[in-house]
Amino acid sequence: MSIQEQYRSRAKELLREGTVKMVIGYGAGTTPLRRRPIFITSPDDADRLVLDAACRTNLAGYLLREGLLADQKSVAVFLTPDGVRTINILAAESQLATEQVIVLGFQIDGENARQLEGTRVADFSGIIAERKKKRKEQPSHEVARKLEQMTSVERFSFWEGEFSRCIKCYACRAACPMCWCRRCVVDNNQPQWVNTSSHTLGNLEWNLVRAFHLAGRCVECGNCSEACPVNIPLHLLNRRMTEEVLTAFDYYPGADEHQEPVLASFRKDDPETFIL
Amino acid sequence: MTKILYANDLTACFSLWRKEGMRVLGPVSKAKTSGFGEVQDAHELDLNLVLTARTLKELFFPRTEPMFSYSIGKQKIETGEFLPSENACIIFGARPCDAAGMAIDDELFNWDYRDEYWFRRRDRSVIITIACKESDDFCMCTSLGLAPDSAKGSDVLLRPLASGNGWRVEELTPKGGKALQPIASLLKEGSEAAAPTAEVPLLFDLEACTTWLADPENFESHFWKEISERCIGCGTCTYLCPTCHCFDIQDEGDTYEGIRRKNWDSCSFQLFTMHTSGHNPRATQSARWRQRIMHKFNYFSDKFSVNSCTGCGRCTRECPVDMGVRETLQAISTLQK
Amino acid sequence: MSEPFEPKIVAFVCTYCTYAGADLAGTSRLKYPPNVRIVRLPCTGRISPMFILKAFQKGADGVLVSGCHPGDCHFDHGNYHARRRWTAFNALLQFTGVPEERVKFSWISAAEGIKFAELIESITEEIRTAGPFEQYHKLIAETGSAASV
Ligand code: SF4
Ligand code: SF4
Ligand code: SF4
Ligand code: SF4
Repeated sequence: MSIQEQYRSRAKELLREGTVKMVIGYGAGTTPLRRRPIFITSPDDADRLVLDAACRTNLAGYLLREGLLADQKSVAVFLTPDGVRTINILAAESQLATEQVIVLGFQIDGENARQLEGTRVADFSGIIAERKKKRKEQPSHEVARKLEQMTSVERFSFWEGEFSRCIKCYACRAACPMCWCRRCVVDNNQPQWVNTSSHTLGNLEWNLVRAFHLAGRCVECGNCSEACPVNIPLHLLNRRMTEEVLTAFDYYPGADEHQEPVLASFRKDDPETFIL
Repeated sequence: MTKILYANDLTACFSLWRKEGMRVLGPVSKAKTSGFGEVQDAHELDLNLVLTARTLKELFFPRTEPMFSYSIGKQKIETGEFLPSENACIIFGARPCDAAGMAIDDELFNWDYRDEYWFRRRDRSVIITIACKESDDFCMCTSLGLAPDSAKGSDVLLRPLASGNGWRVEELTPKGGKALQPIASLLKEGSEAAAPTAEVPLLFDLEACTTWLADPENFESHFWKEISERCIGCGTCTYLCPTCHCFDIQDEGDTYEGIRRKNWDSCSFQLFTMHTSGHNPRATQSARWRQRIMHKFNYFSDKFSVNSCTGCGRCTRECPVDMGVRETLQAISTLQK
Repeated sequence: MSEPFEPKIVAFVCTYCTYAGADLAGTSRLKYPPNVRIVRLPCTGRISPMFILKAFQKGADGVLVSGCHPGDCHFDHGNYHARRRWTAFNALLQFTGVPEERVKFSWISAAEGIKFAELIESITEEIRTAGPFEQYHKLIAETGSAASV
């Protein structure tokens, strides 16, 4: 049985038994190459689920939408290991209870989707620990390495060019499961810390705030870069932040649901090389 | 016989316009996206794009626009204006759906109040549109009553020659005629055949859709939640739509000094309708999606007798979760039966 | 000869240590450059990176953030939290091309009036040498000009 078939019958079963009230997964999109998030509530519809290498969106954020989990019922959701990390972070930040989440785990290897064993987020801790190790060994992004070689003036110009295109749609924010604030700091106007207008200054400020607020919370799922309509390389910023918390604090976001958020915790012997 | 503009002459044509003091803008692919930008040379243009990612509207309605500055002193209050220049500009290589979109937006910006920022730029610009030889999976102009060679909103229409060497030139407005004068020497008489226009399939029955939307019974239909459940409210569809035109007025600065700006805004955003009290009359994303559809295919058409959509397809093409006007209207047309 | 460039520097300091240190520098009549505008906050834990962005938005050429030494926080651990935040934010600023000399962090206690005066002296000099933060000032200036289309 293909993984897609297995998960379709699993979804059917979960819905029929009443274990979950909904399965959040992927369905066919407008064109043969596109996939879209779908929400299945009846076992008869489970055959609409698709699972293959084109399923890229991190679906975890949908769990927080419009009181979905307020009735204490469970929801099953298709998640990659980064998706599972997302659930851990959201749980650690008190946004959901992991008991309400059933994981339909998968991983994309090249052209194929592979099934991952496990039902609850805790079942994936081994895989996540493995990923942390790999992440530590992973070299920085090629462009990031080039940037580090540049003078600060050149780096500033690089980002000025990138941010000048930003149209302040905040799609990056809407697409990020970790951007769950009901009122984003940039939408506050008492006081108005950063400019809301989409001039380059406002765009720079927004992008710094976004990247900083995701420091140690981003799971590098790629939703934001994918959503950005003007293709700003947001992943470079996110990855830089991930690498910072990993080297400075040995912190890998979403390790488990009890992990303390990196910027809401500390160690007395945290490094402080740059403080005078 | 008709006038023909050969692709080889395009750069010369641009310099003639520039000699007359006109800027030339056209579709360019730059920095990982595409939109309209100023060009000197024809090679800078990307005329093979089916459609630029960003729309023509940005040339008339920038995403942030300073309107005036203020500074309040002890003795007096000073203000400064930022009206756009009236220097002529040629927009070469727009697509029919984008050009039509500008004509639709004209209605809105000249309704109860004439928006000077929009019209100064509209009046100074000549839109030279190139009919489409190709379309992609998302184009739906025909379903909206337009076509790959619609003239709406354009001043000149160019039809690509079958040979690929140039375009047959059709003058549509006096403004277009005037813009062709300086380049008259480059327009050759000829009878070369035009390439066939793109075949864009009909995707839905617009009549049926607008009828369904007009029925108040359907306002609270389950349909809205089902069709938009995955919408993340990112606003991409509105910011990249040629006919979406909502804006917000923001003061940047403080009580004593600052600039009042007109910034893009979107009905997809939760904050768009949020009251100071915290109450939000459009509390759910489905209510916001409904608003987008209703505004385009009901409220706008009630007021201006035209739908606020040209079928450019961007809302589907660019949506991160594969939604869009297309799916919704297709679904509504099938609800009918 | 044109006037030497006088940088505008904003210092965000906690009231218990660095502010008291600055006070001590003052009462001890230590000389330090007048380029620094001090903004006093209850604790470094209250110093949000938004403040730094605001300072630059308003045209600062440099920013100093300073508070109690680790272990001395009036609120026990505000500065430990701050330190983590600065680590991330500082990395971000450098990655996006804000030069290292433009944003400084320090621990200055209520007894360190001399350290305060010397630090202000040295960062003012460093920024004076670097010159105005022109790349940022250009972005600020753009906000006051008409839309480019
Ligand atoms: S910041 Fe981007 S990559 Fe990181 S978790 Fe959010 S959407 Fe995913
Ligand atoms: S998605 Fe891209 S264009 Fe939109 S606000 Fe984010 S960075 Fe800017
Ligand atoms: S329909 Fe798509 S593009 Fe539009 S707001 Fe919703 S998610 Fe964004
Ligand atoms: S609603 Fe969609 S198809 Fe219609 S004009 Fe706007 S972006 Fe294009």
